[in-house]
Amino acid sequence: MTATLEVTDLRKQFAIGRPAIDGVSFGVPAGEIVVLLGPSGCGKTTTLRCVAGLEHPTGGEISISGRVVSSPARGILVPPRARNLGMVFQSYAVWPHMTARQNVIYPLKHRTIGRSDAARMVEDALALVGLSDYADRPVVALSGGQMQRVALARSMVYRPQLLLLDEPLSNLDAKLRLRLRDDLRVILKQTGMTALYVTHDQAEAVVLGDRIGVMRDGKLLQMDTPDVIYNRPADLFVANFTGATNELAGTLVACNGKYGVVDFGDGRQGEVALCQTLAPDEKVRIALRPENIAIGRPDGANTFSVKVLDRRYQGTQTAYGIELFGKRLEAVELGTAARHQVGVEAQVALPRECLWAYRDVGPAATD
Amino acid sequence: MHGQADRRSEAMRSASEGTRRRAFTGLWVAALLAILSFLVIYPVFMLLLGALTDTNPVVDGIRLSLSHLSVANFLAVLANPNVGEALLNTLIACGGGTLIAVAIGLLFSWIVVRTNTPFKGFIAAASILPLFAPPLVAGVAWAILGSPKTGLINTMFKWMGSDLRIDLYSMWGLVFVFGIYYAPYVYMFTSSALRNMDPSLEEAAEISGASAFATLFTVTFPLIMPAIVSGMLLSFIVMLGIYGIPAVLGAPTNLNVLTTYIFKLTNWSPPLYNTAAAVAIILMVVTGLLVYLQQKLLSGRSYTTVAGKAFRPRSLDLGPWRWLTFALGVVYLLVVVVLPSLALIVAAFRKFMFIRDAASLFDMRQYSLMHFESIFDNPLTMRSIYNAVEVGVITAVVGGALAFAIGYTIHRTRVAGRGAIDLISTLPVAIPGLVVGVAYLWAWIGVPGGLYGTIWILALAFIARFMPDTVKALSTSFLQIHRELEEAAWVCGRGMLGTIATIVLPLARPGVLASMTLLFVLAIRELGSSLFLYTSNTMVMSVLLLDYYEGGNVGKTAAFSLVQTVLLGVLIGGANWLSRGSAQRSAARTG
Repeated sequence: MTATLEVTDLRKQFAIGRPAIDGVSFGVPAGEIVVLLGPSGCGKTTTLRCVAGLEHPTGGEISISGRVVSSPARGILVPPRARNLGMVFQSYAVWPHMTARQNVIYPLKHRTIGRSDAARMVEDALALVGLSDYADRPVVALSGGQMQRVALARSMVYRPQLLLLDEPLSNLDAKLRLRLRDDLRVILKQTGMTALYVTHDQAEAVVLGDRIGVMRDGKLLQMDTPDVIYNRPADLFVANFTGATNELAGTLVACNGKYGVVDFGDGRQGEVALCQTLAPDEKVRIALRPENIAIGRPDGANTFSVKVLDRRYQGTQTAYGIELFGKRLEAVELGTAARHQVGVEAQVALPRECLWAYRDVGPAATD
Repeated sequence: MHGQADRRSEAMRSASEGTRRRAFTGLWVAALLAILSFLVIYPVFMLLLGALTDTNPVVDGIRLSLSHLSVANFLAVLANPNVGEALLNTLIACGGGTLIAVAIGLLFSWIVVRTNTPFKGFIAAASILPLFAPPLVAGVAWAILGSPKTGLINTMFKWMGSDLRIDLYSMWGLVFVFGIYYAPYVYMFTSSALRNMDPSLEEAAEISGASAFATLFTVTFPLIMPAIVSGMLLSFIVMLGIYGIPAVLGAPTNLNVLTTYIFKLTNWSPPLYNTAAAVAIILMVVTGLLVYLQQKLLSGRSYTTVAGKAFRPRSLDLGPWRWLTFALGVVYLLVVVVLPSLALIVAAFRKFMFIRDAASLFDMRQYSLMHFESIFDNPLTMRSIYNAVEVGVITAVVGGALAFAIGYTIHRTRVAGRGAIDLISTLPVAIPGLVVGVAYLWAWIGVPGGLYGTIWILALAFIARFMPDTVKALSTSFLQIHRELEEAAWVCGRGMLGTIATIVLPLARPGVLASMTLLFVLAIRELGSSLFLYTSNTMVMSVLLLDYYEGGNVGKTAAFSLVQTVLLGVLIGGANWLSRGSAQRSAARTG
C-alpha cells in the first residue's frame, strides 16, 4: 500500500530574499521514515509544506507513488486534499470545537467510506495512539501530549500513502517529548507507513529516522542513515550540527587512503580521517566530538599534552574546557565523578577515526 | 530615652496619617458613589417608579406615587396590542438587519483576511466606514433614494424603462438599511478573530480532504463562532436603541418600533409618560439581557486558536474570482457611502425634489444654494450648532475627568467599594440612549428650578450614557503605563495625587485627549436621549435635523444633513489624528 515520495530539484523562491529551497532532491522508499534536520530557516519546513501542497514550489518536481503532484514547469499542481497524505502540525491543529472522536472521523467524512467502516477505523486509530478512553472528551480538555496523539490519529486514520510530521514534538515539555518520541517510532513502524519528519532536534532525528537529511540554507547537505551521519558527516556543518562542535585547523601534509597526516603548526602532527577527497598541502579543518576526547589516557599515536582550563560538573557527566594547540576545546566525560583538576597538564589521546578532516572553505563553514 | 520618645511620636504621627488617609479614601469612594447614583441610579429608579404607577412621582410627590405602586400599569402596557406590535416590529427589523449584517460582515472579514483580493486595505476601510454615519443622516439619505414615489432610484428605473420599483418605507427597507449600516460591528469582531486564528487549523482540514468551501463551514466559521455571535448580539443591541432610521423610514407607513413608539407616547396630548416609562423598561430589559449574554460570551471560554509562534495569515489565491470579491467591496462602498452622499448632495442643492427625467437631473439651472440660505436664515440653526458644541464640550471635559477618576479608582487602587463603582459605571451599557432620555425626563421634569430646560441635563444624560465606553477607553490609555513607573514615583516620595499629576497624566495624555474628543463627537451626534430633554432654548443639531425632516422639507433636511456630516467628518478626522485609530473601536461600541 505505502509508496514512495520522490522530490527532484525542488525550488521555492519567495517574493524577496534568497531561495527558501534551492535545488533539493531526495526519495523516500515505501515504509521508510526520513527525517529532515536543520537549524531554523534552513528550508526544511518549507520543503515539507511543498510536499503537502500548502506551499507552491517555483521549480522542480514532486511525485507521490509515481503520480506527479507538483511540477511548475509542466503546470501541474494537485491541491492538498487530493494528494492523499496525512500531516501532523507543530501546533497540533486539533479543532477545539470538536471531541477527539470528531476530530479523528473528520477526514473520513470527506471520503467515500461507509458509516460502520468509518467507526471501526476511528476506533483502530484511537487505540493505536492509546486514546480509546478519551474518545468522547472535547479536545480542549486533553493535555498537550494527548492532543498531539489525537492529531496523529487524525492524520493516520485514512491510511494515507505518506505521513508528514512538522516538528510534532516541539510544543511538548521535555519529559513528554522523550516518551512520545519513542512511541511515535513504534506506531509508525507498526503501521508500516512512509513518513517525512521535520525537526531541529538531532536527538529526535536519530531515534526516529531510518535516514536523516541535514539541510542548511535551502540545500540538502547529506542524506544518510543516522550512524553514517554521526560517524561520517559529509561536511563541517553537518559534523558541527550533529554535535562535533570542536574544531582544529591545520595543513594536510600526507595522504594515505582513508587517512592522512595533518600539521597543526609548530611541527605538531597527527593522524586524521579524511572525509573528503583531499590532496597534500591543502588547508583543512578538523571536527571532533567532545565525547571522543579522553583526558589522561595516553594511548596510541595521536597523544598530545593539554591544559585543563575549567570544569563544569553536570551530575552524570563532567564538561571540561581544555587547551590544545592554543585553541580551546570542549571535552565531556561520562560518570558521576569529576576526575581532573583545573590547571593540571594532562595527556589526551585522540583516535584518528574521530578526527574528521574537511577542506577549509573559509569562516562561513562554522556557525 | 530621647530616641524612644522620638520613635513614639513618629509612630503616633504615622498612625494619625493612616487615619487621615483612610478618611480620605472613604470620602473619595463615597463621593464617586454619590455622583454615580445621581447620574445613573436615581434616573433609572424614577423611570421604574414611573412605570409602576399611574401618577407622576415628581409632580405628585413620591409618597403618593409609592402608595399607588402597582404592576397594573405595567401589565396594562404589556397587554396593549400597540406595544406588542411595536415589540414584534422591533424584533423583526433588528433580527433581519442582524442577519444581513452577519452575512456582509463575515463575507468582508473573509475577503480582507483570507484572500488575495486586490486593494484589500481599501475594502477594510470601506467595511468600517458606516460606523461614522449618524443613523438619522443615513435614514434621510436612504429616504431620498428609496421613497416609493419620488425616490431617486425609482426615478432612475423609470428612466431606464424598467418596471422595477423599490419601496424603502417598509419593513424591508428598515431591515436593509439596518443591515448595511451595522455590518461593521460583525466585521470588527470576526476579522480580528480570523486574523488571530492559527492557519494550520485550516490547513489540517484541507489535508484531511475537505474542500476550501467545506473547510470554511466545518472548521473556520465554527471556530470563530464566539466572535460571530458577539458581533451579532452587539449589532442587534445597537439596532434596538436606534431612533433615527426607523423614525425616517417607518413614519410614512406608520410602522412603529419600540424607540419610535416611546417617543410618540410622550408626544401625544396629554403625553403618556407612564406608558412611555413602561415601554422604556421593556426595551431596557431586552437590551440588558442581550448585553449580559454578550458579556458572558466574551468572558467565557473561547477557543484558543492562537499558536505560540508567529504566523503569516493564509491568503487564498482566488484567481480571476478576486476581481469579483473586489467588486463586492466597491458595491458595498457605493451602497453605504457613495449613493447616500450623492442623494444628499442632489437634494440639498436642488431647488425642487421633483425630477421629471434623468436629463433634468443634470440640468444645472435646477440647482442653487437656496436651502442652505434658508436653513441659515433660521436663527435656530446657528443656535443648535452652538448648543451642540457647548453640550459636547461640557460632556467631554466633565465626563472625561469623571471617567478618569473612576477608571483609576477601579484599576489602580485597592480601595473598598471599587467593585460597586465598577458595577454602577458599567450599568448604562444596557440602557439604550432613548431610555436614558426618558429616565432623565422622569427624574428632572417636575423638580422646580432644577436641571430641566438647561444645557446641563443634556450633558449629564450624555455623560451617564457614554460612561462605560469612556471609562474603558481611558483605562486602556493608562493601563498601558507600567505600574512600576508609578511605584518608582511613590518611592521617590511623591503621593498618589502627585504621581497622577506628574507621571500618569503626562504619559497617558494622547489617550486621554483622544477619549475626550471621541466623547465630544458622540455627544454632538447623539439623538435618542436628546429627544426628550431639549427645549426650544436648548435645541441641538441632531434634534433640529429631525425637526426639518418632520417639517417635510427634503431640501432643507438634506442641506442640514450635509452641514452636520461635514462637521462630524472634520471632528472625527481630528479625533483619529489625535489617537491614531484607537478611538475607532469605542466609537463602534456606542453606535
